[in-house]
Amino acid sequence: MSSTSTTRSTVAVEAHGLTVRYGRRSTAALDDCSFRLTAGRVSALVGPNGAGKSTLLATVAGLLRPTAGTLTVLGTSPAEARERIAYLSQNKPLHPQLTIAETLRLGAELNPARWDAAYAAAIVEQGSLDPGTRVRGLSGGQRTRVALALALGKRPDLMLLDEPMADLDPLARHELLGTLMADAAERGTTVLMSSHIVAELADACDHLLLLGGGRIRLGGGLDDLLLAHTLVTGRGTPADLAPHLVVESRAAGRGLTALIRNDGPVDDRWQAERPSLEELVLAHLRSPSAPALLAPGTTATPETVTR
Amino acid sequence: MSAPTTPHRASGLTWSVLRLHRTALYAWGAALLTAAAVLTWMHVIGPDARAAVGNCGSPGAVAADCARLQAATVDEIHTHGLDLAAIGVTYLLYPVAAWAAAALIGRELESGTAQLAWTQSVTPVRWLAAKLAVPAVLLAAGTTLAVLLGVWARRDEDGSLIGGWFNTNVFISTGPVAVAYALAGLALGALAGLALRRALPAAGAAVAAAFVLHSVLDQFRMSLWPAVTVTGQAARHLPSGALALAHGAEPSADGRSGLWATYQPESHFWPLQLVESGLLLAVAGLATAAAFALLRRRTP
Repeated sequence: MSSTSTTRSTVAVEAHGLTVRYGRRSTAALDDCSFRLTAGRVSALVGPNGAGKSTLLATVAGLLRPTAGTLTVLGTSPAEARERIAYLSQNKPLHPQLTIAETLRLGAELNPARWDAAYAAAIVEQGSLDPGTRVRGLSGGQRTRVALALALGKRPDLMLLDEPMADLDPLARHELLGTLMADAAERGTTVLMSSHIVAELADACDHLLLLGGGRIRLGGGLDDLLLAHTLVTGRGTPADLAPHLVVESRAAGRGLTALIRNDGPVDDRWQAERPSLEELVLAHLRSPSAPALLAPGTTATPETVTR
Repeated sequence: MSAPTTPHRASGLTWSVLRLHRTALYAWGAALLTAAAVLTWMHVIGPDARAAVGNCGSPGAVAADCARLQAATVDEIHTHGLDLAAIGVTYLLYPVAAWAAAALIGRELESGTAQLAWTQSVTPVRWLAAKLAVPAVLLAAGTTLAVLLGVWARRDEDGSLIGGWFNTNVFISTGPVAVAYALAGLALGALAGLALRRALPAAGAAVAAAFVLHSVLDQFRMSLWPAVTVTGQAARHLPSGALALAHGAEPSADGRSGLWATYQPESHFWPLQLVESGLLLAVAGLATAAAFALLRRRTP
């Protein structure tokens, strides 16, 4: 793929003009998407339904062949990095006829070089699941736990999680997210995880990728992104907020509430506060036409563009 | 394929294929055991059946003369038993194609469990190779066993008792062509599963493809090796065991009508078997190559 890439081990995922199209005539699920994810980050992948989140994760996991563009994962191609990537897809596919113990054995057999049986078994035990139970008889949340054990048991360097917590109860979600984050912190695993529950992401993640229309609309460290935006309230029109870029504005009483991308200090007439992650994400989701913003560490390096 | 870590236990992908398709493995084992039991029985009662037919079938004999109840019963069981076994081997292609399309490949792609394997340390190509190789070995071994047992049970040395060698079921179930049919069914099924990615449509397509293959070969089976043409008196008395394809008379130069006949002698059994097996293995090879090409095009 990209031969010019200088295989920095600090970059986990780097995409240049990544385009994925299902079938010849359909619209692209990913359209000229470029970004970089530094190793060790725990990144939240958000976006409206159909934005291309699942496509991006499956492509990085080496399950889909990009139509165009280059994609470097852990310094090599996704197919070459297969051993070091864990992927949990949205519907958590498992073989219904296997027991939990057999499912974990499957993980051991298919990952001969990397399998950590004790760790995988511990994740299952944490949910007080009997290893002899067939997967067919598990609830959605229990299946997620087993699928996560299978994903974590291979001790990946990059974890790709597609809506991992959607069908877990709050307690199990908290617990599993804790396990996941502890593992990521301890081993420096890079995590890219999509979710609709933005509040959940705020605690777990330190990086954000917002997808819209098949491209990254917003990308960077959470703190950087939050610092780059201000939530302002006051009297006036959106035009009064120049030179700041107004991402979204709404009438609030006789005044205006707007999320702006700062360009210098904000005028005193406006009451300014830091937005929450949820406010930042929602404002961008509501305004798909707002210009993209990628923090410096998240832009793909131009010299590696091979197209 | 993965190297086994312990010598006596299947490991890696082989273990996973055997475990995931354990029901099919048991069903195949049960079918083979049943076939072996039935064919052994047929072998044992064979001499009795042959004796009964020999008496009744001799020229000029009246059937009622030798219609002793026991002999008649033995004969019927013998015929039906062997017929049943031959039918089982002949139509094996259909369940194999449907199973390969639906359970082996289609369902895995439909439910996403194939992707589960591909995101372990297994490439899609290795996955498909194991998915095809393990069943292919078991199918080839089992079908070979069934064919050998069938030939042994028929005791054909003294002439055919149950249908001529050219009879579709007899032809397919008594030679290497049976193994080739099973392998072609497996390959066509796998291709259908990969192409359609859903269990039920794939099973339908695979069975349809198997039907076309089966029918076409049935139609042209006897044209796969040059037939023998004879004229004159020889055309009136074809050798025993020959399959007459066409015959007729045409005026010859000296005014007498000349008889002619074309036929496949029994000695053509092996050339015909080998050509048909070759064709089937070519179909299986092409289907396998197409399946791999399709998989390679879709996944990086």
